[in-house]
Amino acid sequence: MRESESCSFMSKFSHIYIEERAAAYPVAQHVLSRFPGSIRVMIRHYKDVFNRPHQDFRRQKASTKLILAVKQEPFLYPGPEVCEDFGNQNFYYTSPVLNCIYDCDYCYLQGLYPSANIVIFVNIEDFCKAVDRQLESGPLYLCPSYDTDLLALEGIVPYASRWIEFAGTRQGLRIELRTRSANYSAIADLNPVEQVILAWSLSPHEVARRYERLAPSLKARLTAIRAALQDGWQVRLCFEPLIKVHNWQQVYREFLDEVFSIIPAERVFDTNIGVFRMSKEQFKRISRLRSDTDVFAFPTVCREGGVVTYEDEKEIRGFFYQNLNRYLPEEKIYG
Amino acid sequence: MIYIVTALPCEASPIVKKYDLKRDSACRHFPLYRGDDMFLIVSGVGKMASAIATAYLIAQNVKLDGAGGEEGLAIINIGVCGTLNQRYPIGTPLLIHKVIDHETGKQYFPDILIEHPFEEGSIETHNDVVRREDVLSGRVELQADLVDMEASGFFQAASRFLALHQIYVIKVVGDYLDVVDFDRQRVAQCVSGVMDALDGFIKQVEGLCRVEGDVLTQDERLQLERVKESLRLTVTQSHQLMDMARRYKLRTGRPLPDLSEFIQTRVKVKAEGRKAIERIRKLFLYE
Ligand code: SF4
Repeated sequence: MRESESCSFMSKFSHIYIEERAAAYPVAQHVLSRFPGSIRVMIRHYKDVFNRPHQDFRRQKASTKLILAVKQEPFLYPGPEVCEDFGNQNFYYTSPVLNCIYDCDYCYLQGLYPSANIVIFVNIEDFCKAVDRQLESGPLYLCPSYDTDLLALEGIVPYASRWIEFAGTRQGLRIELRTRSANYSAIADLNPVEQVILAWSLSPHEVARRYERLAPSLKARLTAIRAALQDGWQVRLCFEPLIKVHNWQQVYREFLDEVFSIIPAERVFDTNIGVFRMSKEQFKRISRLRSDTDVFAFPTVCREGGVVTYEDEKEIRGFFYQNLNRYLPEEKIYG
Repeated sequence: MIYIVTALPCEASPIVKKYDLKRDSACRHFPLYRGDDMFLIVSGVGKMASAIATAYLIAQNVKLDGAGGEEGLAIINIGVCGTLNQRYPIGTPLLIHKVIDHETGKQYFPDILIEHPFEEGSIETHNDVVRREDVLSGRVELQADLVDMEASGFFQAASRFLALHQIYVIKVVGDYLDVVDFDRQRVAQCVSGVMDALDGFIKQVEGLCRVEGDVLTQDERLQLERVKESLRLTVTQSHQLMDMARRYKLRTGRPLPDLSEFIQTRVKVKAEGRKAIERIRKLFLYE
């Protein structure tokens, strides 16, 4: 942002706000040990900081703070209709962390919460207990990297590995860990777990470079995926959101060629396609927040139900599907 | 634009001097001083007084302030405070990251996003003067590093109007809760001693809160007006054109590409205008 030209921001996590009741948790101690130089501020409830009125999301993104808190019920939420359930029954998501260290121009989290700061809920055992309770009434498909990117945060709070280990000990539980990171090495020492799907969001180099600030390059992500596949993990590729760029047909065709020149298609667990879509309210809010990006430069329409997408959404999806279908059979393509 | 709130005239005087502020005699309600990019108000002692002066200052002046209005300003409460903690030598300035109102128990958190030269700490605002013996005898229990009589009122009032990164509290340790005779000169010295650090901080805050004017130059706006005319753009298309142009400049930091070919085109039917705007879109996206 332009403001950075004229002032120097404090480094990321210069401050850690700690709920009094969270301080003694081992996870809190672990996070604090990672940032010995950060200023610690004790708080009564995370919402006293996270939900303050009049926070400036863009400026906060330049100097994001951490908040350590204890989450209370509910721990699990039913998966929203708009999200792909990949044919799984009982689709739930859970948010042990709120917000993300990356800064994608199109991210729906912008302005979803009143703050850009990252909340880590330290009572991970309570999340696991809630999953156990839910498992009593049948199998469960769970996304714990939903309002964040857990693998990207693994060096700060080891929740990706925690969920993997937990899933490995539970019958009927299937977990999707979605990421834009290239941080596979952080979990590479774990044995692959059948109940876990590592899901990588991928975009063409042109999109990642322009619109996925702070996230690793396509190449780095592909290298991580290849390593995960070699180690025997189930890997899902998420082509979502498909963002329109100039010459998009060529860009996306070449992108898929690149992806499958590095990743053996036959080893991919499954994939999904999602053309950029967003609720009208979200779209308005983000357009207002982000005058510094042209990510929404191509014409959009508001469809029935208040969903904003490209006017040629169907064409984009069709085109992408056909090209993906060159590498993968129909039954491995969702969305 | 920087607004400053102090409780006492002796806290204000080093700042008035440093920035060559002039008394605004038209203000009948408070001692108010103004300079080119700064207003300073002397609120009087106590959180209520501080809140009233803060609200007055913001509400009165925001509309006069051209550069970005409310968004382009920042407000700072500066003054002396007490502490029991001898770790802080007299004259130490602290930037406050937590304000506690002693009477209500409420806590407030400014957003500290920029580098600064100060130590940070928390402050507890009391209605009455807190004395050392009150604390040592257990009559008063302190929750924060520092004690004052204004910060919570100031913060509540300021945060009604402004975003959190626009509000700052800087307190200079003036005593160890052991004041017998109030010494104005000593207070003024405390504030004088931090003026250099304060000055650097103010520059940082100004940078943080700066609101850029229109990125388009007058020439560029003129050029775009001509494009609109010759392509006979609809109102929506015109908005799109201006929006694309601004985003192009923000993204690339370069002047607009040459649009003269579009100014020379005279479209007859709407469809031609639509085609032309698609070409401009490409130009703005991929120049
Ligand atoms: S990686 Fe996902 S959650 Fe993180 S900023 Fe990008 S879109 Fe948002």
